[in-house]
Amino acid sequence: MNNTWGDVAQYDPVTWNWIIAIYLFMAGLSAGSLLIGLGLRWWSNTDDKSESAILKAAALIAPVAICIGLACLVFDLTKPFHFWLILINYNFESVMAIGVAVLLFYIPLTFAYALMVLRDELAQWKLGFLTPIATMLLPWRKPIELVMFVLALGVGAYTGFLLSAMNAYPMLNTAVLPALFLVSGLSAGAAANTLVALLMFNSNGHEPHMKTMHGMELPVVFAEMTFIFMLFCALYFKGGAAAMALASLTTGVWAVVFWVGVVAIGFGIPLLSMLMPAHSRHTKGAMVTVACASLAGVLALRHFIIYAGQSYIS
Amino acid sequence: MSQRYVIVHDENKCIGCQACSVACRSENNVPDGVSRLQVHIQGPFGEAPNLHFKYHRMSCQQCENAPCVTVCPTGAAYIGDDGIVSIKPEKCVGCMYCVAACPYKVRFMNPETKVADKCNFCKDTRLARGEQPACVDVCPTDALVFGDTNDNNSQVAKMLLQRANYQDSTHLGTKPRVYRIPTKKGGIVS
Ligand code: SF4
Ligand code: SF4
Repeated sequence: MNNTWGDVAQYDPVTWNWIIAIYLFMAGLSAGSLLIGLGLRWWSNTDDKSESAILKAAALIAPVAICIGLACLVFDLTKPFHFWLILINYNFESVMAIGVAVLLFYIPLTFAYALMVLRDELAQWKLGFLTPIATMLLPWRKPIELVMFVLALGVGAYTGFLLSAMNAYPMLNTAVLPALFLVSGLSAGAAANTLVALLMFNSNGHEPHMKTMHGMELPVVFAEMTFIFMLFCALYFKGGAAAMALASLTTGVWAVVFWVGVVAIGFGIPLLSMLMPAHSRHTKGAMVTVACASLAGVLALRHFIIYAGQSYIS
Repeated sequence: MSQRYVIVHDENKCIGCQACSVACRSENNVPDGVSRLQVHIQGPFGEAPNLHFKYHRMSCQQCENAPCVTVCPTGAAYIGDDGIVSIKPEKCVGCMYCVAACPYKVRFMNPETKVADKCNFCKDTRLARGEQPACVDVCPTDALVFGDTNDNNSQVAKMLLQRANYQDSTHLGTKPRVYRIPTKKGGIVS
């Protein structure tokens, strides 16, 4: 029977689509790889004047990922050519406006930092004319790193707050979401750093930095799993419409994405790889496979949260 | 704010004829495929021959704590001096944050203007001329009443004092200003 009141497509609660999921992924990846790169640099505190392959990878990924993400975001606007409106009008009650303000500082800094860290590569990439700028920026390295670290924490968490601010969606409106997005950004960042360091900066996978980073993988994966578990527990205990959202784990295509993408590929492959004998685990092929699995898992998690999260409304 | 405009929908008087919806579309030039206002019909309930339906108005609830206004990054979604939640088209970038955040799912992107759109009680047209919103004027059974509850002598103020009424999803703290007078006949919606 046709209804008499007209088209109801607009009442579909799923408003934001996969493009936003990719943006959330890219923003988390950019922040995550930078946080890891900087963390390792401070932690290991080597006197070695040459930059580590991991830091080079992070310095490259940070600006590229955030720019790809923002391009997705802008072209998903219904008025993409009016995006500048969002740069001149700020409602600081809005998480999105706060995010824009943070990115406004974060993005130029990631570019400046890439120039500094990759100053020796610039000439090879036919970007030699940028070397003087890199040299000019070098004395500011310490303060830039500090500010960038704080901003990267902000970027990583803000993508979660962006969703958790919407109180009509019980799965999104939870306190752990920003923390989950931050740690899963870290795991994506570590994976991408490994990939780029191996494939672009000729890392052999056995540098001390690489080892430290792999040492962090297990705790990060456990933190991620804990936060996901807490998220679903919160829904279960809240009951009512929130508990209905648990159906997303058992029904529909997003349940498959969760169990196959997030759990089997994203957690299973990296965890199982730790059981492999050390010599085969540290081959390039194994490391690339594991890194790709982690990235795919985080991407799947963003899609699951966006779609399943919006499908249940209270 | 000196005014507090509300709409009351009497679900006993409503017959689900959609005249309000059609009037709204023509008054506000709402394109096909999207709506500022619909009346959803549920049912039938009861046993033949005594069947009855439930009528549910779907339109912006004019929340006093409007999530769409809080999330809008540019301030395009705003609450005016008259308390009415509406949109400044020239500030809207079309990020759809408000559409996602509206708990009542009554906000949409206007396919022609590319700007977020929804009911604003005909603020710029009929209200500005001192008339009632189009839906209220056209309703054949007078199921809709519009007015200012800050005016104690208004029909809406008296109605809300005297008649049992409810609002949608009050648990979200939005303080909606669309009030509904429930049908006297029951019915179980599973
Ligand atoms: S019903 Fe939706 S569009 Fe209307 S004021 Fe409330 S949140 Fe905004
Ligand atoms: S779509 Fe327009 S009105 Fe809605 S939140 Fe974005 S800028 Fe504001």
